[in-house]
Amino acid sequence: MCSITRCLGSILLLSSFALQAATPKLVVYTYDSFTSDWGPGPQIKTAFEAQCDCSLELVGLEDGVSMLNRLKLEGKNTRADILLGIDTSLTADARASGLFEAHGIAFENSTLPEPWLSDLFLPYDYGYFAFIYNREKLANPPSSLRQLIEAEQGPSILVQDPRTSTPGLGLLLWIKKVYGDEADEAWARLSRRIVTVSKGWSEAYGLFLKGEADMVLSYTTSPAYHIIAENDTRYAAAQFSEGHYQQIEVAGLVQSSQQKKLARDFLEFMLSEKFQAIIPTTNWMYPAALSSDRLPPDFGQLIDPSPALLLDDQLVASERKRWVDEWLEVMSR
Amino acid sequence: MLGLIILAPLISLVNLSGLPGYESGDLQFWHSRYIRRVLWFSLWQASLSTLLSVLPAILVARAFALQPSFPMRALLLRLFALPLVVPAVVAVMGVVSVYGSDGWVSLGGSLYGLNGILLAHVFFNLPLAVRLLLPQWQTIPEHHWQLGEQLGMSAWQRWRLLEWPALREALPGIMLLVFMLCLTSFAVVLTLGGGPKSTTLEVAIYQSLRFDFNPARAVVLALLQLLVCMLVAIATLKLQRLPEVEIALNSGARMNRIMHNPLNVALILVAAVYVGLPLLSMLVDAFTGPVVQVIASHYLWLAIGKTLLIGLSTALLSVCAGWFLLQYNASLAHAGQTGRAKLVDLAGSIVYVVPPLVIGTGIFVLLSSRVDVFKWVYPIVIIINALMGLPFVIRSLGATLRQNYARYDYLCQSLGLQGWNRFRYLEWPLSRRSLGLAAALVAALAMGDLGVIALFGTPETATLPLVIYQQLGAYRIPDATVTALVLLCLCLGVFWLLERGIGGKPDA
Repeated sequence: MCSITRCLGSILLLSSFALQAATPKLVVYTYDSFTSDWGPGPQIKTAFEAQCDCSLELVGLEDGVSMLNRLKLEGKNTRADILLGIDTSLTADARASGLFEAHGIAFENSTLPEPWLSDLFLPYDYGYFAFIYNREKLANPPSSLRQLIEAEQGPSILVQDPRTSTPGLGLLLWIKKVYGDEADEAWARLSRRIVTVSKGWSEAYGLFLKGEADMVLSYTTSPAYHIIAENDTRYAAAQFSEGHYQQIEVAGLVQSSQQKKLARDFLEFMLSEKFQAIIPTTNWMYPAALSSDRLPPDFGQLIDPSPALLLDDQLVASERKRWVDEWLEVMSR
Repeated sequence: MLGLIILAPLISLVNLSGLPGYESGDLQFWHSRYIRRVLWFSLWQASLSTLLSVLPAILVARAFALQPSFPMRALLLRLFALPLVVPAVVAVMGVVSVYGSDGWVSLGGSLYGLNGILLAHVFFNLPLAVRLLLPQWQTIPEHHWQLGEQLGMSAWQRWRLLEWPALREALPGIMLLVFMLCLTSFAVVLTLGGGPKSTTLEVAIYQSLRFDFNPARAVVLALLQLLVCMLVAIATLKLQRLPEVEIALNSGARMNRIMHNPLNVALILVAAVYVGLPLLSMLVDAFTGPVVQVIASHYLWLAIGKTLLIGLSTALLSVCAGWFLLQYNASLAHAGQTGRAKLVDLAGSIVYVVPPLVIGTGIFVLLSSRVDVFKWVYPIVIIINALMGLPFVIRSLGATLRQNYARYDYLCQSLGLQGWNRFRYLEWPLSRRSLGLAAALVAALAMGDLGVIALFGTPETATLPLVIYQQLGAYRIPDATVTALVLLCLCLGVFWLLERGIGGKPDA
């Protein structure tokens, strides 16, 4: 009796090993709001596993910065085959780490406003930073970044810290792009109307919804969430005449990966309609390769953020520290 | 041993210089003016927060001690354990609901700045200090109170001659603990502080390790923070007086005859309102949210399981480690080696100020080349949380163990009572109440942890604080308030279970 159970047990064990060996596993490092129950992760896992004959493991880390740091710490020992979720302010750093390999994929169906040139990274979605306001509370939102900054009696705003948050860094770059060398004076003028500078996007947005300020730094796509998920049309993004700073989220193939074929299949899948159609209402960004008539109809209500503003990623990588220090200096006065 | 666990990760971080993308040779203090300002602000806000939390806490704890039959006393005290576990973001929202510009008691724009930081820190730490101070009144022997009564002592004389000496043992340690909690506070300071004027050392450490990816500088800053805390610790422990422990058969005062004092009642009410308002606002927010939808989700229940697993294992590990540390400490103190005893106390108390991010990254570097870290996420998270919980164990259990040791060690030796029997028949009945509090505090703390678990990443399911954060990060703020309420209820339940289960019925 005892030996039978032992025998059965070892058969089970063996067959589970065999099963593991038969289905290769692809490991993707991403941020944890991607992997959460309401993020794109679960749907993407199901869709990819249905076609790849493999298992897809999505590992959720805090954000793009932690992903890249984790990869640098692990070096060649990393389990990751793909990094998904760093943005254009980090791609130069990621390139310099030497841990990525060219994707080798012709990206022909791009719906990005500008042509995509990187050989190492492929975009999966993008968005624009914008100030969100409540129509019922703020009747006349500023119509340009200059107006927001220079009107003495302008609206109060909530922003994020560029040292700890992606949108925070985005605003820093936006103001740099528009004001150039006079960015520090712009910050000095603006600082009087900044209610607080939060650690991350969530704190600032939460405070805004509680009514702590007239406007909050977020994305042009934020109102889409309120319209589609909550049927609430009060929130809108203020359209700025200079254009809006752009954020493009990308994925890259890790050089030490043992399954590059499978990893490239995943990158192809990432640019396919199946993946792209999941993005708008789970990640609340614009898909990078999906024609606009395939977007949810309510996305049509969003503002036109053009022209898209973006600084060169090499420039951001080399100057970021100095710009952040400059910001600290002004804001601490 | 403890030192090794802390130092090894730090050293491994310093050794990282060969990594790609890492700028080495950047050890000199980058714009040291910035660091000086950050250091000054950290100390200033932490000291103010400590004073504003602990001094009122003495009065409130005394009021609780002298009003043993106050209605709903047990419930109120359990409520006082909650702020400790509320993730900082949720607490900030609660504070803003009460004091924000659309709040119940609006402070308008003056909330952001030092005001907001202090309001939030007192909300977090006053109740904690009350919980830790309260047991000190129970260490005053019954016959002291009787004697006081016979001698016709006034309230002031009772305070000075009976209560203050009992407090002096625990007070410096508790102040140190609160100081450390405020010194390392991060999200509260950034969000309510109004801007980078309110930057703490913890933020600077976070910046160097994450944003600039400069581990060596992060270690230098972490050591600076450790040094600052060490100095404060040495200063506070100098103030500590270990009271003479007398051989008394009946300790644990039952002050049934204590008169009702309207002032004490008022103090309890004010404190309860102060702590209760932000909690109440979370409750109101939660019940206007999608309660059924959130609670029905499978994802939430997986998270509840993970959270319980981490909370309970951490409590077990931390209390066991703390127990042996404190027994060693008690034997040192009993043998007259107070200097060394204080050193052990210091080592155990101070681990809290090494940021989890730094220890965690260090441990990661140590382990990642040897084992598959993903298989070890939970053990690692539990170990780091247990370390972080040690100061709480020391504060809630230390005084009891030392007194037991001093009172009964000779007796045990003459009776040949040792090992398991000594624990079973002597230590357990005498210290189970403190053990219960220690376990409950650490479990609650670990269940509310966000820093450590977020660092290591989650292969499949998240813990509750992480779920809250994910919901907040995905516009699902109403869902997050419901999840926060679930976390609060879970903590309340675990707190009750551990305090009752280990500590036994109150006044039994």
